Amino acid sequence: MTEYVKFLVYRYRPEDGKKGVYADYDVPVKKGMTVLDGLIYIKENLDPTLSVRFSCRMAICGSCGMRVNGLEMLACHTQILGLRRKHIIVEPMRNFPLLRDLVTDMTPLFMKQKALKTWLIRRDELEQENPTIQYLQSEEELGKYLQFTYCIQCGLCYSACPVVSTFPAFLGPQSLMKVYRYFADSRDEVGRERVSFVDKFEGVWRCHFAGSCSAVCPKGVDPALAIQLLRREALK
Amino acid sequence: MLSQREGRTKVLQSLRVMLVPGRYGLERWSFVLQRISGVAVSLYFIAHILETGNFVGGITVWTVPEYSFAEAAHQKSVELLKNPVFDVGLAVIGFLVALHTFNGLRLILTHFGFLVGKPGRPEPFEQPASLNARQRALFWLSISLAVFALLYTLDALMGVFRV
Amino acid sequence: MLMHYLSGLGILLFGAVHIFTIFFTYPFQATIWETTLKFDSIPFAILPVYRNALLAASLFGLLLCTTVHAMNGLRTVIAELVGFRNKWVDRILIAVGVFLTVYGLRTILIAHLLV
Ligand code: SF4
Ligand code: FES
Repeated sequence: MTEYVKFLVYRYRPEDGKKGVYADYDVPVKKGMTVLDGLIYIKENLDPTLSVRFSCRMAICGSCGMRVNGLEMLACHTQILGLRRKHIIVEPMRNFPLLRDLVTDMTPLFMKQKALKTWLIRRDELEQENPTIQYLQSEEELGKYLQFTYCIQCGLCYSACPVVSTFPAFLGPQSLMKVYRYFADSRDEVGRERVSFVDKFEGVWRCHFAGSCSAVCPKGVDPALAIQLLRREALK
Repeated sequence: MLSQREGRTKVLQSLRVMLVPGRYGLERWSFVLQRISGVAVSLYFIAHILETGNFVGGITVWTVPEYSFAEAAHQKSVELLKNPVFDVGLAVIGFLVALHTFNGLRLILTHFGFLVGKPGRPEPFEQPASLNARQRALFWLSISLAVFALLYTLDALMGVFRV
Repeated sequence: MLMHYLSGLGILLFGAVHIFTIFFTYPFQATIWETTLKFDSIPFAILPVYRNALLAASLFGLLLCTTVHAMNGLRTVIAELVGFRNKWVDRILIAVGVFLTVYGLRTILIAHLLV
């Protein structure tokens, strides 16, 4: 006998000019099926108008972030049976402009990162563009930031953060974590100036260590840790 | 600029995010409780300054009054304040003060980067380093101390645990 | 933010003294209404505490630290609630803070000088 799980999916169409509603679908579930598989099943068999963004289906592209039963998750990284619920509520992420159904506009996240220059910067521009030597690092130097390179920019932490929800100018867990990632990288030459980028009202000081970012991060990046370490630098 | 109605909806939404911890775990509860206790104790603090001002005669008195006048004023405010409702309210404030203090100490430590762990190599489904057992123990410690403060205040004001 | 940490630690110090004089100096058979909240009868009743210069000064320290901590905290909460900073909120909170400090200082001085 096939087991059915009821999907309550948030549906929003901007052209209707109305608030979103929850539509329900009965989805037959097998062991190994992810929430994303469920949504694809709905799209293929029950309702082709459902909009959902995904690409890799293996938790590496960061496209399919959404709220499942009130908690931010990657749909492709969440087993339906693992949720142990007969009802699954699927909503788009918070704190991003909503485009349609489950699809959010990730621009705020990318713009904040861009403004903070989260990439490796060498003082010597020529060298930056055409490196002539290798930049070796010890195991220890690597360990200082490696964890933070695992970020796939899915935006789940940004959606979970209570401060971003209420104070949108806050730079947010992901961008602050990225700043620390480059600050801690021995190859980067911006140094303490990176800390000065975030030493402002909208920066590290708005973090109150609610830990929700780290609680939802699917890659174990632990942005909360990075922000505390960054703040320690700002307090120096 | 937001219209008035949008503004109100925005504030209501913010309130919901600030007051409902959801399923995010203990640290989120700590955030919510720290907020609520901070605001509540601030309001109590304002009331407390006004109320203790009444002990020497209220806002109109700016020179040192007669002893008997002040004593009478104190007597009057005590009569006003000494009732079970305020006593219980004060015990709740005691709870919130203790919670905010000890949880606040924990937060100061984390803000300076202590007890949050070190960057490592996360395994799938591993608990993040910053949300570690030490943090949780300290959080529960502040809850326990706050409960102690609640009971102690209740006893000090109303003598509930006397036989 | 440093101000917030420092005033918080100040409250811890002066607040401990305040709590101690009120809640930990009375005999356990009585409630504080009958002892430390009396006007002037026992060593740690209200007036004796204020008359002691050191304790009065520590009360003023507590007043100052709490005002700073509370107003700064409220400023944060309000900014995060409405989603932006507003200089009028800051001004009102500063005004409230100045009033509380002055009014509280008045209470402390009067009670200190009362004979
Ligand atoms: S830190 Fe984690 S939750 Fe945040 S964007 Fe990166 S991978 Fe996603
Ligand atoms: S589809 Fe790529 S992360 Fe889920």
